[in-house]
Amino acid sequence: MKITLMVWRQKCCKEQGKIEKFVVDNVEEDMSFLEMFDILNERLILEGKDPIAFDHDCREGICGACSMTINGVPHGHEHGTTTCQLHMRKFKDGDTIYVEPFRNKAFPVIKDLVVDRTAYERIMQAGGFVSVATGNAKDANNLPISKENADLAMDAAACIGCGACASSCPNGSAMLFVSAKVGQFALLPQGQPERKRRVLAMIKQMEKDGFGGCTNMYECEAACPKNVSVRFIAKMNRDYLRASLFTKSK
Amino acid sequence: MGLLSYLKSTILSKWVMAITGCILVLFICGHAVGNLQILLGSDTYNTYAAFLQGLGEILWIIRIGLFVCLVLHLITSIRLKLLNNSARPTAYQYKSFLKAKLTSRTMIWTGIMIFAFLTYHLLHFTAGVTNPVEYDQHEVVINGKSGIAQEIPNDPRILAQLPPTLQTTTVDGKLYAVQEEVKTAETRHDVYKMVVLGFRNPITSLVYIIGVILLGFHLSHAIQSMFQTAGFNHPKYTPWIIQGSNALAVIVVLCLISIPITILTGLVGGTI
Repeated sequence: MKITLMVWRQKCCKEQGKIEKFVVDNVEEDMSFLEMFDILNERLILEGKDPIAFDHDCREGICGACSMTINGVPHGHEHGTTTCQLHMRKFKDGDTIYVEPFRNKAFPVIKDLVVDRTAYERIMQAGGFVSVATGNAKDANNLPISKENADLAMDAAACIGCGACASSCPNGSAMLFVSAKVGQFALLPQGQPERKRRVLAMIKQMEKDGFGGCTNMYECEAACPKNVSVRFIAKMNRDYLRASLFTKSK
Repeated sequence: MGLLSYLKSTILSKWVMAITGCILVLFICGHAVGNLQILLGSDTYNTYAAFLQGLGEILWIIRIGLFVCLVLHLITSIRLKLLNNSARPTAYQYKSFLKAKLTSRTMIWTGIMIFAFLTYHLLHFTAGVTNPVEYDQHEVVINGKSGIAQEIPNDPRILAQLPPTLQTTTVDGKLYAVQEEVKTAETRHDVYKMVVLGFRNPITSLVYIIGVILLGFHLSHAIQSMFQTAGFNHPKYTPWIIQGSNALAVIVVLCLISIPITILTGLVGGTI
């Protein structure tokens, strides 16, 4: 396959970036999208040029490191797939593909396709945890949890924090990510003592980092490589109102 | 700014959008059903209009309540839009949407256009500023019935020729002849005639039809969005809410545009 890549090049966060054209020959159908970039980068290095910087780690769809926006959609158009798991067989010979970084004020570009996603880490630090002394392992079934809630909490916990939701959202809103992280605890007994404090703190941090507001377009759900549902956003809206109205602390 | 401090939170802002939007949607449904009575004829429609005017203080409480909802809806949406725009300073070179529909992406723009249309609508039919002549229509109601009095010139020669069965009565300085004994006589705003004359103008009607269709686009996303913001999302019911939201938007549009269309085609008010 012969693929024309239109790739965003940007030396650092302060500099203006631009689209640069690369033609990659001998792309095999079984290559992943990132492997195509590996081949292109090897060629660029041999030619003495600056290779394209991009994020990657596990390459098996669970770490959330890869972060390319492919033809306008984070991780590409393939449903429920990270960039590393996207294979070139999903494209046609002769295709032109636009590759851009995840674009958000809260995710400044570090170089080329690499963005700084510590904004999500800051949201997690604000309340995405359960602060209880764990002690010894509890007896099995000591804490009864319904199968439905356990499954739903697991669906929320499938979020890998990649940033696709905020980057696909026309408003740049991180609500799907925050709602998944709030939701996984709100469904389990361990999350209850800090439930109100958690949702208020995480949303406060989300807004402080400059993410936009949700207008229920559901683009996030469609772009999410882990198929996290917007149901968690609805649930968090409810939780947030309750916490705002009835929390005891100021 | 105490009251507007909710604007600091995007989720509380969304709640304000949903609650004020819900009240405005309920109003629009009532407004559509109420005004469909124009199809039932002049008397029913003018009686309905007189009933609304007769509410007095209650009417003003409703008007002020709706105005507050509208202002909050508008301020909150503009503030959210500005915030959302600032969240992505560099736009994508290649734009593509998987699930975000045109209606959901253009809410702010349809909203602003609806607001402009609403301003015109209020100046046209509520305040009578844009078309004062068409607005200034009155009818005489004798014994609670309209259309039975005929205006006659106050000329002694004509009065002398009137048949003895006819009664005469003076309302607002004008003389009217009636076939029956006059117990009560009053004038009321002839809203029916005002609306018919207003919509006879094809350009006015076109403006209304476009305004109402924009409202339909806005509502089709707004109603389902309201449920999501209010925290109601259920795999069993949400598909029905989405269908219901689209259906209600279409019904409201059809009800409202049926008025200028029936008037333009002469089905309503053809005799005026």
